[in-house]
Amino acid sequence: MNTRGFMFVFALAAGAILLPGAVFAHHSTAEYDMATVTPIKGTVTKFEWSNPHAYIYIEAKDDKGNAVEWTAELASLGMLARVNWKRDTVKPGDAITIYGNRAKDGRTLMRLEKVAFANGQELSAQVR
Amino acid sequence: MVRNRLKSSVVCGTALLSFLPAIFSQTANRSKAAGAPDLTGVWMIDQFHPALFPKGTTPPFTPWGEAQFKKADTLVNDPNLACLPHGIPRLMFVPLPMQIFQVPDMVLIYEEAGNQLRQIHLNRDHRNDLDPTYNGDSVGKWEGETLVVDTIGFNDVTWLDHAGLPHSDALHVVERIRRADHNTLVDDFTIEDSKAYTKSWTASQTYHLKPAWEIAEYVCDNNKYVYHEK
Repeated sequence: MNTRGFMFVFALAAGAILLPGAVFAHHSTAEYDMATVTPIKGTVTKFEWSNPHAYIYIEAKDDKGNAVEWTAELASLGMLARVNWKRDTVKPGDAITIYGNRAKDGRTLMRLEKVAFANGQELSAQVR
Repeated sequence: MVRNRLKSSVVCGTALLSFLPAIFSQTANRSKAAGAPDLTGVWMIDQFHPALFPKGTTPPFTPWGEAQFKKADTLVNDPNLACLPHGIPRLMFVPLPMQIFQVPDMVLIYEEAGNQLRQIHLNRDHRNDLDPTYNGDSVGKWEGETLVVDTIGFNDVTWLDHAGLPHSDALHVVERIRRADHNTLVDDFTIEDSKAYTKSWTASQTYHLKPAWEIAEYVCDNNKYVYHEK
């Protein structure tokens, strides 16, 4: 393996070891089930306003009522701004429902389609 | 190494952009006098095509090209995962806007993707003995209303599309960029690479004008987790 290849694999491996649940470098949509949209209701714990993807973290409940963290991946900040997203569109403590395409590998991760707020308003995360 | 390369590309792009107002003010008349067709504006692809060869179609691979394609895994070894430059032509297919500037001797394409600045040199031929680079060396000429862009001098790191189509350092890309109407830009590509493909093939991308859009900052911020933070 050349140096560049080694560095890349090393970086991914290091990230996977050091940052379970938070290794979100740039990637494609291939890891998501793009055919199905799943709603998950929960409370926002963090909104990461960053490129190339923004992330919403929410605490939800699984089927047995246990707390489970879900992560929703959004587009880049430029594209989000073009569909009226701002850095404070969601805030920790907000009760929201995230709708999106779940990760195929079973992780509690989705590509966000839209978000629904407690007052019933919805905001799309996709530029059509 | 990757980080340094990214940093230097951002610094170069930023430095060149900072000179643009000066270039415009000093040479606006020269540019107008040239009478070149106007491609300027912010443009966005009309539709995202991750694969240039959709399922059911087969690229004209050489055995080497096919072997490279079989190794491609969009979840594992896409060079863009590390936020490396997309290369040409993939840069022109990214689902992010680009802004075209026309200055004397150059057409500049400022891509939101990585805030890369692509230079198309209008009044020179390819340099001799080119250093292999991500985006290669682009030279252009006007044929009527069409900007014909010839690009060589690539490294072999990038993919041609988002599905992993490979290329070698023998890649040669010819683009015919034209404004189909005021709101529509079309780029027709001819791809040649005798190491990866048995014959040349074509692709096309249409863009829509986005007068209200500005190019936003786009830095691979998330990658700080991989490199800097625990």
